[in-house]
Amino acid sequence: MLPHFELFDHTADMGVQVIAPTMAGLMAPATQGLYSIIGELVATSKQEAFQFELSGNDPAILLRDYLNQVLFVFERDHRMLISFEQTEFSREHLIVNATAAALDPEKCVYSHEVKAITYHELSIREIEGGFEARFIVDI
Amino acid sequence: MNESYSGPLERLDGNRWRIPKSYKPGMRVDGIIYANDVLIEAIKGDKSPEQVANVATLPGIVRYSLAMPDIHWGYGFCIGGVAATDPEQGGVISPGGVGYDINCGVRLIRTNIKFTDAKNKIEQLVNQLFRDVPCGVGQGGIVKFNKSELCKLMAEGSRYVVKRGFGWESDIEATEAHGLIEGADPSLVSDRALQRGSDQCGTLGSGNHFMEVQVVEKIDDPQAAAVMGLVEGNLTVMIHSGSRGLGYQVCEDALHELQDTPRKYGIDLPDKQLSCAPVHSNEGQRYLKTMRAAANFAWCSRQIMTHLAREAFARVFETPAERLQMNLVYDVAHNIAKMEPYDVDGVSTSLCVHRKGATRAFPPGHPELPERYRPIGQPVLVPGDMGRASYVLVGQPGSMEHTFGSSCHGAGRRMSRGAAIRASKGRSIKKELLDRGVIARARGRTGLEEEQPDAYKDVTHVVGVLHDAHISRKVAKLRPIGVIKG
Repeated sequence: MLPHFELFDHTADMGVQVIAPTMAGLMAPATQGLYSIIGELVATSKQEAFQFELSGNDPAILLRDYLNQVLFVFERDHRMLISFEQTEFSREHLIVNATAAALDPEKCVYSHEVKAITYHELSIREIEGGFEARFIVDI
Repeated sequence: MNESYSGPLERLDGNRWRIPKSYKPGMRVDGIIYANDVLIEAIKGDKSPEQVANVATLPGIVRYSLAMPDIHWGYGFCIGGVAATDPEQGGVISPGGVGYDINCGVRLIRTNIKFTDAKNKIEQLVNQLFRDVPCGVGQGGIVKFNKSELCKLMAEGSRYVVKRGFGWESDIEATEAHGLIEGADPSLVSDRALQRGSDQCGTLGSGNHFMEVQVVEKIDDPQAAAVMGLVEGNLTVMIHSGSRGLGYQVCEDALHELQDTPRKYGIDLPDKQLSCAPVHSNEGQRYLKTMRAAANFAWCSRQIMTHLAREAFARVFETPAERLQMNLVYDVAHNIAKMEPYDVDGVSTSLCVHRKGATRAFPPGHPELPERYRPIGQPVLVPGDMGRASYVLVGQPGSMEHTFGSSCHGAGRRMSRGAAIRASKGRSIKKELLDRGVIARARGRTGLEEEQPDAYKDVTHVVGVLHDAHISRKVAKLRPIGVIKG
């Protein structure tokens, strides 16, 4: 099973379904899914480290909080994650060490402003051969 | 794909449907949906009626959980939802009943420009607006406010930006609550929200937000239209936008903070997105104070865009905006929670009214209305879609009796964004709009496709239901001729 994402419909907004063989493997396609809703993002070579660590008791909420941080970094710093060095994801703990790069404003083509990643129908569940995450973004 | 609603819907009359409180455990009141026979079929196509039933479980909810005819599927609350809770009866405040885009709203500016005289300048005008009004993802505003300025702006509302030259003194009176909800506490707004909002005040955003140039096509109520300054054949400008990143973050912060609050107060919720806290609790008060701050930010944002629109008109028509008589008709919030007095069992009671995709619609004589609108009722601004029409209504006495002083906020989506894009394959929406006489400019790659007229219900049906139900009366129909989108 290769990690991947697909978009699904929601009346006024958009949803992302993510599949991966491990929970940690969900992070990269979930991030790409979010970016694909925002538009065609192009990074420059100006890079820096991105670190995120959070504990909790619901993995779906950990994922949501991580994605909201990714969205914040995009909106405030105009940066996107381009590679994942280390991800650890258990039911209570999430660690992401990644590389972020500045966006190239001349080359990015935007589609949507994402307001937030919602709790609506938010889920992570075990499926045959891996895990599935679903989240809906407010546009 | 959307799932449809299969629960009970009992017809009450030609305009209302009931979900009885016996439908699901925990419902404290009935759900009432305003719709005619045509609209109800579309409404049953998604789970929004289920959300009406879920809202009916909120502690302290009074009379019924309501939905306007533009109802569609949202988060926690449906879009088009209205719910009033009584704080003295354990009533709650729910950020889901306001939405991420706090004080998303609409304002309308009238002009004395006749369309017949301006026909040849409309394309130039739309291009000028597209250049001058920041819109779309990542577009900052013409003013970047520092932290201290943002806090003042959120504490003082529209007056703060008018004092800085972005608008006219008369704009303040023509804005709901004079562009300032009392009780905001900007010091409680997170740094993250301030950072998201610092350069976004006075920007349109994207999604369904827009600035539209319109023609007054038909007057239904000449007396009310005259009071508002609406003249058949003249141009108007409509702005639909909200509190941008600052408001989204205030909502996000509140939802995060309120995650465990229902358990703390022993509140059972059928949907996590309905997270809430008693109005009188510290958590509830904290949200209300930050929500009001974000609402005041949104009024400032629409005020700055009003200034930009006036400047663009003045440039294109080579006439000062004052001489073009570009007065603000009104500005209304449609994502908000406010404390308002209502008669409950013969007693005047202060209720927390949630309007999530619903517009305040106070009737003639209401003390909160500007003096000039007291004889006719509050203007209710209802954008439709960018191909057909928008409407100006006025609030009627029925709104106080049946809908906690509320009416609809738009046409309501009938197609998902994905479905709208699929339906656009092989077509040019921009050209189709042009063929209908609408010049459209959009920054987003798929904005016009996703927001095409077919993606929305027919707003004429929506406002017709509320007209017939004596909630809000038709005053004027506005036809779009130019639109800019993010």
